[in-house]
Amino acid sequence: MLSDGEAAELLSFLTLGTRPDVKAKATEYILGLSASREGCCFLRSKPDLVSALFALTSDISVAIAKDCYHIIINLSADETLHQVLVSDGKVLPVLLKKLLDPDYLFSDQICTILSNLTRHERTCKTVFKALQEDVGLAKLVDIFCTEGYNAKANLHYLGPLLSNLTQLPEARHTLMDRDRCVFQRLLPFTQYQASVIRRGGVVGTLRNCCFDHTNHLWLLSDAVDILPFLLLPLAGPEELTEEENEGLPVDLQYLPDDKKREADPDIRKMLLEALLLLTATRAGRKALRDKKVYPIAREFHLWEKDVHVSAACEKLVQVLIGDEPEPGMENLMEVEIPEDVEKKLKELDAQEQEELEKEEKRRSETRTACAK
Amino acid sequence: MAAETHGDSDDGMDEFMDKFKTQRYKNAFSEKNWEQEFNKIPMFMKTAPEEIDPKNYPELACLQSIIHDDDRSPEEQAKSLKDEGNAFFKEKNYKKAIISYTGALKKKCGDQELNAVLLTNRAASHFHLGNMRSALNDAAAAKKIKPGHLKALIRGAQCCIELRNFSEALQWCDEGLKEHTTDEKLRELRATADKHKRAAERDARKAKVKQKKLHGEKEALLTAIQNRGIKLLQSKKPHLKGSESEDESSAAMEQLRLDGLSSQEVTGAQVFQDEKGLLHWPVLFLYPEHQQSDFISAFCENDCFRDHLNVMFGEELPPWDTDRKYAPHNLQVLCIFFQYFYNGVNVLIADVCYLLTRWYLFNRFFVKAGTPSFIVLVKDSSFFKQFLSGKTIRDL
Repeated sequence: MLSDGEAAELLSFLTLGTRPDVKAKATEYILGLSASREGCCFLRSKPDLVSALFALTSDISVAIAKDCYHIIINLSADETLHQVLVSDGKVLPVLLKKLLDPDYLFSDQICTILSNLTRHERTCKTVFKALQEDVGLAKLVDIFCTEGYNAKANLHYLGPLLSNLTQLPEARHTLMDRDRCVFQRLLPFTQYQASVIRRGGVVGTLRNCCFDHTNHLWLLSDAVDILPFLLLPLAGPEELTEEENEGLPVDLQYLPDDKKREADPDIRKMLLEALLLLTATRAGRKALRDKKVYPIAREFHLWEKDVHVSAACEKLVQVLIGDEPEPGMENLMEVEIPEDVEKKLKELDAQEQEELEKEEKRRSETRTACAK
Repeated sequence: MAAETHGDSDDGMDEFMDKFKTQRYKNAFSEKNWEQEFNKIPMFMKTAPEEIDPKNYPELACLQSIIHDDDRSPEEQAKSLKDEGNAFFKEKNYKKAIISYTGALKKKCGDQELNAVLLTNRAASHFHLGNMRSALNDAAAAKKIKPGHLKALIRGAQCCIELRNFSEALQWCDEGLKEHTTDEKLRELRATADKHKRAAERDARKAKVKQKKLHGEKEALLTAIQNRGIKLLQSKKPHLKGSESEDESSAAMEQLRLDGLSSQEVTGAQVFQDEKGLLHWPVLFLYPEHQQSDFISAFCENDCFRDHLNVMFGEELPPWDTDRKYAPHNLQVLCIFFQYFYNGVNVLIADVCYLLTRWYLFNRFFVKAGTPSFIVLVKDSSFFKQFLSGKTIRDL
């Protein structure tokens, strides 16, 4: 690694006024550093280098700015660097403000950086605070949902950013504002075919928002109507009975016979998890039963090949067709589980996970055996 | 007259009052007409007259001319007209309100705020009259001169919903919600528009599925008919070309696609295929001897003629059969066909015990207007002989 003297020299090259070829070489070198763990470790100890890099993102040379953004993306992927990256109080507000500019070239890079920074709770809180001070979550959603907001950036990574932010209860609270129409604008994106990143981000956001059972009635009401948007990616072209069809939400009726289900298994799993969360309250369970979620889940289960996703589906089905819990236990999220029972349940969960993995392995082995 | 001071009184009030002691008051309202008279006085009017005739309502005409005095600035005139329009609006007299607002807009006063309000109010008037297009245009115009004008945005969205243009309604709502993020009405309208949009999409899908199903059923039916070698003719003039060409039968199929196998009968019965795959035809029995006919709505192809004739003639002979000879066992079924390149008329005779399917075998068996027709005559009767004379007879 570089000595302190060499580091200081490097720093002197990283100013806006430096000769372009020197700047380019310096940034190239640091880009190489940022790709390795040791390099990142080194940079962690040099906050002034990091600050200089941020400043250079405004360089007139597109190539230099791009490299700097690339470096910061690499750094942000490493959690140990998060504190260094956000310690300079000016950094986040500047980045967030730049997102508002519909002509900014590097908005996608900013989205990726922010998405990385918000992965873990601590820095996520810092980012959210900075967001709310100026730009605001509502504006972020607005930009995200406006088709072609930025001609040079697709802003798909705002999806995962939102998903990460909603791990914080305060972010969820802001997003699910009943007086505004912010949350509702995200819903159609569960069907957005052009980007799995965007789609996955939105589904993750919706799933996180389903954690707060006090909002379930609102989510299931006409004001939001989250259910069809969660079910549509899981529904297939199979024909259901007349009775089942009539009870379905409008968006799921008379689907064409070339209807495809969600291709990404992780997204499918998140959709099922969101649905399962909505069954926590008695009212939620009733709503899901009334809207014929069971037939959709049933057909889905017949189609699903991934063991983990299947398991999630089974959990949902069990609640939908199971008996109602005794009085006092209707809200599954508020039931008190005695310690020994909790321990047993954890053991069973671990066991189930093991079995699932075994099953997965067995299936892939069978497949390779057959492929011969 | 100079005012005389009389102690406490001023301007001759006392004198005036004293007059009543001696003179009789003239031109008083009578009991009969006092309400009408009161109604003429502007201050006591309950409702304004539709037209203000200066002769009958001089005071009103006076007031009007003060209000609409052209000496005042355009803004003032426009404002007065706006107030007038608003008053009409309150009375639900929307047509008049529109006239007032239009008049106000014509003043072209520079106050854009006022103009936006005028356009929005006129939009509301049109809305209540059911003129959705005009209302929408006015709302759009209002929005143009004052973007973010809440009432215009709400009205525009409402018009779009009424016109069933739900996508546009959503656009209006979203535009409005950008400025007025917490407006409840806009939120509600958006939810409504979204709901209707999705319902309309469902309806479109439903129609498509239904059409596909019908199409499939029709295809299956036509295939079944084609497989039996049956030729279909539309009710128009038949082609004079050769009959068995591919083109003609597919043209006939095409025609079926268009106007269906609709028979000319009022019943609108049509050939159909049952679960066992058997065709059931609507069939006409013609009795030229008595100029009568019978219509059988569903003649299964595996039925024989006798069964159906028994139904018609078995129990009781029809009233038109004056000679009482149309007993089933006396009857014969015929079909006329034309042979091209030969000017004669050919007749095909079949026994009543034959099934309908037997007729398919005849390679000139046509079905006209989706309804096979057969002539029924009494065997060996004089009419029978007469009918057949001059025609070439063939047995089926």
